[in-house]
Amino acid sequence: MGLPHHPLETLRPLSEAELSEWEEAYAAVEAYLQALRLRNRLLVAELVRAILWRASARGTKEPGVPARVLAMEETLTEIARWTQEVLDEPLEHNRLAARGRLALLLADMPGKWQGVFLTPHPWPPPFTDAMRKSYLAAGPQFANLTMVPKPLELNIIGSGAAQWWETMDRRPIVRKMFAIFLLALIGAILWFIFFE
Amino acid sequence: MRAWLRRLVFFGSVVLVNIAASYWLYDLFTRMGMHRAHVLLLAVFFILNGLLVLGSFHALFGAWDILWGKKRAVRITKLAEEAGDGPLTRRYAVVMPVYNEDCVRFCARIEAIYRSIEATGQLDSYDFFILSDTRDLDLWVLEETAWTNLCRKLGGFGKIYYRRRKKNANRKAGNIGDFVRTWGGGYEAMVVLDADSLMDGGDILKMTRVMEAYPNLGILQTPPKLIRGSSIFTRLQQFAMRLYGPLFIRGLNWWQLGGGSYWGHNALIRVKPFSDFCELPDLPGREPFGGKILSHDFVEAALMVSEGWEVWLAWDIEGTYEEAPPTLIDHLKRDRRWCQGNLQHMWLVFARKLPLTVRAHLFMGIMAYLGSPLWFLFLIFGTWVAWDREASGLSNLPYDGTPVDRWLHIDGNTQSLILTGAIFLLLFSPKILALTGAILVPRVRRSFGGFFPLVTGVFLETVLSMLLAPCVMVAHTLMVSGIVLGHAVGWGSQNREADGTGWAEAFTVHAPPTFLGIAWGVLAWHISPTFAAWMAPITLGLVLCIPVSVLTSRARYGKALARHKILSTPEELNPPAVMLLADVAHAAVDPALDATAPGRYGVIAAVVDPYVNGVHVSLLEPADLSGSEEAIVERCLTMGPSAMSKDEMVDLMYLAPAMLALHRAVWLRPSEGIHATWTQAVESYRRRLDAGAVEDLV
Repeated sequence: MGLPHHPLETLRPLSEAELSEWEEAYAAVEAYLQALRLRNRLLVAELVRAILWRASARGTKEPGVPARVLAMEETLTEIARWTQEVLDEPLEHNRLAARGRLALLLADMPGKWQGVFLTPHPWPPPFTDAMRKSYLAAGPQFANLTMVPKPLELNIIGSGAAQWWETMDRRPIVRKMFAIFLLALIGAILWFIFFE
Repeated sequence: MRAWLRRLVFFGSVVLVNIAASYWLYDLFTRMGMHRAHVLLLAVFFILNGLLVLGSFHALFGAWDILWGKKRAVRITKLAEEAGDGPLTRRYAVVMPVYNEDCVRFCARIEAIYRSIEATGQLDSYDFFILSDTRDLDLWVLEETAWTNLCRKLGGFGKIYYRRRKKNANRKAGNIGDFVRTWGGGYEAMVVLDADSLMDGGDILKMTRVMEAYPNLGILQTPPKLIRGSSIFTRLQQFAMRLYGPLFIRGLNWWQLGGGSYWGHNALIRVKPFSDFCELPDLPGREPFGGKILSHDFVEAALMVSEGWEVWLAWDIEGTYEEAPPTLIDHLKRDRRWCQGNLQHMWLVFARKLPLTVRAHLFMGIMAYLGSPLWFLFLIFGTWVAWDREASGLSNLPYDGTPVDRWLHIDGNTQSLILTGAIFLLLFSPKILALTGAILVPRVRRSFGGFFPLVTGVFLETVLSMLLAPCVMVAHTLMVSGIVLGHAVGWGSQNREADGTGWAEAFTVHAPPTFLGIAWGVLAWHISPTFAAWMAPITLGLVLCIPVSVLTSRARYGKALARHKILSTPEELNPPAVMLLADVAHAAVDPALDATAPGRYGVIAAVVDPYVNGVHVSLLEPADLSGSEEAIVERCLTMGPSAMSKDEMVDLMYLAPAMLALHRAVWLRPSEGIHATWTQAVESYRRRLDAGAVEDLV
């Protein structure tokens, strides 16, 4: 571990603004690695430092780009590049990141292989096997069947009722008149039974 | 006995007893001096008493079948044994439709069923499908993570599948239909579950063997037992169903045979005939009576039977379970949906080509809800007659010489008491039979906790059921009235937690029956104290429905009873293996893939968390981002998810490049450039080290 070509003697004094900017970059990269469930603090610190060195080197060529952006771009790019190398399969750029992260999860990188994360080839065969076999399938091969509703065959009473019902649905005035007629009929029957 | 003869004997007995009881009442009315309202009372009595006799005779015939028909009754377990123990020849699916459910709990049930089938050595023949119609976006993400964890832990990739429908057309029936259309061709049959279903793998295998051995079998329905009730209300239901249920199930099976019904879940369905015949037609007109069929299960069985396929009730399958709504209010909410669905079946009564058994099932389903307004009407007519009689000052029994008087030489009071006694006998005979059977069979008695808890449980269940019945009657009457007036019901998820009903909620829901009970009680007292006494079981139930609803919803009282084994069931006292498996199942929960952490729940996690985002995007179709969609992404970043409409969020979540762009941006951009929701979610990953609690890494 470590970066022997970046000894302490190469450090230069940094302004408060620079320190603050790189502190934010450090925090973001560290948070992302923790979001990937890397548990080992030494490993996280080493990876953060390596990524920040790269970002710093890019910063000298791209002045004006915030340190956080540089650092996180380096992080995401490096993870995508490395997972593609491990997976050894061509992927469209826009699917690569998700596929790589999914493979890390399904191969249980956080649980079993955090020491291998972002290291150069060769990787342990069980790790590469696990990465390459990882996939998500929401369903098996399609095996279609058709389902076509058959119209309800009603008898003569049912057909008559259906016709009447649909007419009432289409014409609110008929519905209202029918409701009033029904209520009046019920009222009349009750009146006849109890009072007449 | 031939099927038609059994049906003739059963329904003939019901009709005969009902005619006899109705004639008895007619005779009594004649003695009292026939009033025109008595005609209405008699008509309603004929229907209500018919329903009562129908219910009781199920238990009577069930008891008879248990005692005398044991050897002849077809047992699924025996048929499965006869089918042999070789490998299954076809492939089968276990499907669980879910709608805004607790994913950890339903995944635990899937895990238990999976492990239970695995123990039979036939796991290779089964695939599992979680068919989500979930509309809540956070729950959608949680379902994806729970499913992924489940597959990771069980090695279930390519075996357990998760599918979410973009549009949940036609509710649960549409969800199952979508599965059949998409993947049904790969399977001979499917075990249809509910989100709260649990089934023993060994029993699923037995059912599958029977399905393979009997090619004309279309649906094999099991009678699920209620489990895990903690509130008094749920415990009442599960105790009653467990103790009295087998009698009704056997009685039902005695006459329905191959013309059974499907109850929507815990059943094995042959896929091909289901796809050929069970796509539901729309009913004439609009909802609530027309349109899409809500209670699809009965109709699917009806269509299957009418096309010559057999639908069996697997009465002897033990390992089949479900959960019940925890409170009276939740129970009534579910009933509102079922009520509308069952009333829609009135159209099918007028359909051609339906066999008698199918019409009988549809009729019983309809009357389960229409019975309440009829009972309500009966009580109103009765009150009116009593009022009229009291106001007229006439003697109650002015006339003798009716046929009953001439034949039996009994006075009117005795005749009235005999009828009342007969009604009570019909009402309580299922309970008496079940209790007697349980007491006399030591194994059954012990399984319910012994003699004292059993008898106390039956007593408590009877008292509380009597108190609850009037409230349910009024609620059903209001439901039916609402539906008649054109109010359709929505599709709500079910509350399966027993957190209890608050007094305010109970008052809001139960105020109408309470005031009705008070008014009715006062009126009855005004008519005469004797009439008030006769009406007391009704008025008391109505007046007390708020406290009864609240107190029966409390889990702590239910647990107190459970400590004394009161209202306990065999499954509670001696949980079966699959329940124990479900209790310890936690494969769906893994901190490595988690969308429930504070500050990054659900949708937030799908954007921020590298793994949750990876899982979510991997399940989406490839797509490109248009200019307008980029603008929506930008708005979501700067204004946060709460500023977006639900439709916009749904669109974003279905767009893989949008979700990837959001993930990249929330990590890349400085905090000034994005909404605080994202910044805080990103920051939440660092808190652990800042707090020095490394061991709590999430």
